Amino acid sequence: MSSTTASSGLARARRGLAPGGARGGSPKPGNLNRKSKLRAQTSRTFFWLLLPSVILLVLIHGYPLIEAGVQATHDGNLLQTGKFVGGENFAAVLSSPAFWKAAQFTLMFTIVGVFGSWLVGLGLALLLRTRIPAGGTFKVLLLLPWVVPIVVSSTAWNWLVATPDSLIPSLFRNFGLGTPLFLADPNLAAVTVMIFKVWVSFPFMMMMISAALASVDTTVYEAASMDGATRWQQFSQITLPLIARSTYISWILMTIFCVNDFPTIYLLTGGGPVNATTSLVVLAYRTVFQDFATGPGVAIAFLMTMTLVVISVLLYRQIRKSSVE
Amino acid sequence: MTSTRTTFSRRGFLGLTAAAASVPLLAACGGGSASQGGGSAGGTIKFWDMPWATPALNDASRKLTEGFSGANSKANYQIIQWNNFYQTFSSAIASKTGPAVSTGGGFQAFQFEQQGQIAYADNLIETLKKNGMYDDFLPGVVEPFKTDKGYVAVPWHLSMRVMWYRKSLFEQAGVDVPKDWATLLEAGKALKKIGAVGFATGAGAGNNIGNQAMIMMMINNGGGVFSKDGELDVMNDRNVEATEFLLELVSNGIIDPAAVSYTSANLDAQWKDKKAAFGAHVSQMDTRVGDTSGDLIVASPIAGPHGDKGGLVFPNNIMMYTNTPSQEASEAFLVYYLGQLKELWKQKLMNALPVFKSIAELPEFASDPNNVKIVREWQPIAKTLAAQGDKLNANLAVLDGGQALNQFTQTILTGKTDAKSALQAFESGLKTVLKK
Repeated sequence: MSSTTASSGLARARRGLAPGGARGGSPKPGNLNRKSKLRAQTSRTFFWLLLPSVILLVLIHGYPLIEAGVQATHDGNLLQTGKFVGGENFAAVLSSPAFWKAAQFTLMFTIVGVFGSWLVGLGLALLLRTRIPAGGTFKVLLLLPWVVPIVVSSTAWNWLVATPDSLIPSLFRNFGLGTPLFLADPNLAAVTVMIFKVWVSFPFMMMMISAALASVDTTVYEAASMDGATRWQQFSQITLPLIARSTYISWILMTIFCVNDFPTIYLLTGGGPVNATTSLVVLAYRTVFQDFATGPGVAIAFLMTMTLVVISVLLYRQIRKSSVE
Repeated sequence: MTSTRTTFSRRGFLGLTAAAASVPLLAACGGGSASQGGGSAGGTIKFWDMPWATPALNDASRKLTEGFSGANSKANYQIIQWNNFYQTFSSAIASKTGPAVSTGGGFQAFQFEQQGQIAYADNLIETLKKNGMYDDFLPGVVEPFKTDKGYVAVPWHLSMRVMWYRKSLFEQAGVDVPKDWATLLEAGKALKKIGAVGFATGAGAGNNIGNQAMIMMMINNGGGVFSKDGELDVMNDRNVEATEFLLELVSNGIIDPAAVSYTSANLDAQWKDKKAAFGAHVSQMDTRVGDTSGDLIVASPIAGPHGDKGGLVFPNNIMMYTNTPSQEASEAFLVYYLGQLKELWKQKLMNALPVFKSIAELPEFASDPNNVKIVREWQPIAKTLAAQGDKLNANLAVLDGGQALNQFTQTILTGKTDAKSALQAFESGLKTVLKK
């Protein structure tokens, strides 16, 4: 079979068409008017049903947002608003090297956290789709890092790596690889925190991808096989496109989880050593609650939120694009 | 306290939210009728306390609190966790649901005083003078709480940082316990040869011992972060000298290279596992790490190169708030509670130094030679974070738990700096956050 035939077969498969199949016929013209009336009525009902929730959400999110806006533009504290300073707090934050260092770490932490956990999750989801012995048990065990409270897992990781006599540094020493100080060396600490994040997050990705894979019709693969597609072609041109929507959603969620992640970092390293693992959210916390500088701390949180909104909008557009395709 | 405001302010909204949130909690508690009022004329005094030691201490404190009955009032007890405690207090005070009396952070009273939330304790001090309790205070423990406007709090225990050593490790290394910095360096080198740590410390997540050890060494050398007038004085010669010495300890491997990341649990494990031979820690560290065999001993204060000696003390205090059902009742409660404190030491529940001479003389406290040594040798030379000055203030809260000191400590412990650069960064970090 030629590659042209294979690729046209794969294209048909992605559209959900079996070999030789066709989409259903176009709607009858007489039904159009009634359908649009019904749609308008449904929209109105939805609007009234949703209105109380929308009002509640606006109140719940709007009030803190306004309060945060007030704090970010004043030089007060948690009790007193203080005097209006305009954009001074934002200017101070944006001109601070600590902010940019934290932003850089947050970016790296997020990229590694999102794509690292996605790759591990994808690999395991694909593995779990094959028939392996005790697959169910294996699946439950793989969920443990996500299920176990972060306080417990961070304590366990601390026990594994914190001191030169901890288990993993001891193993390195026994293999003649020296005694790495995983949490004391700034670069190693950053890497350790990122690996910890991937370890904590991959089960979430695995579940998202498993759910997406479960909804893929196996006949699509049969069709692709009949058209002569290789395993790699099936994966790259059927599996990945068909789980794209779930993938983008999981990326958005994981991006938000990573940017806002406080406990993973704070419990393992406290943001150290020497700010090597200080993310924006940790910096915001420390600025407000350790330096008692409420305005600059809230300004950091504001900047973080704005960045997250931009990233989320971009990824949502990608979802809509993938839906249209 | 009544309010004539009719507009719906942000504070009001916060209060309403807190009140709404407390409804199911109160319902769940069962029988938890109005906490203010409580059927007595003076109302019920809300006393908030922190977990200072084991839960048994809080149980005993609760019992003491609930035993109060005076000025036509009663008192109830609530534990507030250390995590985000400042936020907890701030939110509660903003929503008028805060305590009437509380323990808390060492400089919390000064912070809330700036915000007009603290009830001055001058009348209380007068009462203590009249009933003789004032004379029972150890020398110099009350005055640090006096501001231009009055006393913001009264002390109830002293959290000391002192030098400890493990006797068996010194015997094994064949060296004497350090008496000054020179012998500390020599002992450290000998201890390193047997795999022991000559200056144990830690500055990992949530561990303040490292930060405190840095300040302690500055004080030990006659330095400190502030001048006698309370001005920032980070770059003084004594601080530079102390920092250079600490860097020398790091470069010689006398401070564990991984100490920068050690949590309190990691550091305590190092002491328990007989790895740590010498270092700064809290009083009653032996009890804390679970080794009361007598091998862990409080060292005598060591002398700096100019002969100075010094330790670090945090005078922990009890404060009263303006939001109280009755100021008279708050004061009556505090007089009662201070009078009952001895019970906590009698039951050996407190791991800190008492502020009353009569408690320091209790057999339950004085039977521990380490306690006696701390009272006799360390307490008289101990200084607060305000050193070289002696006036406590709200800015010390920023120094105590703030990023500048933590950053400085971690930079020193990694050893990748020189003394002056590290101190300059420390000073500039403090300048950006300290209130004028």
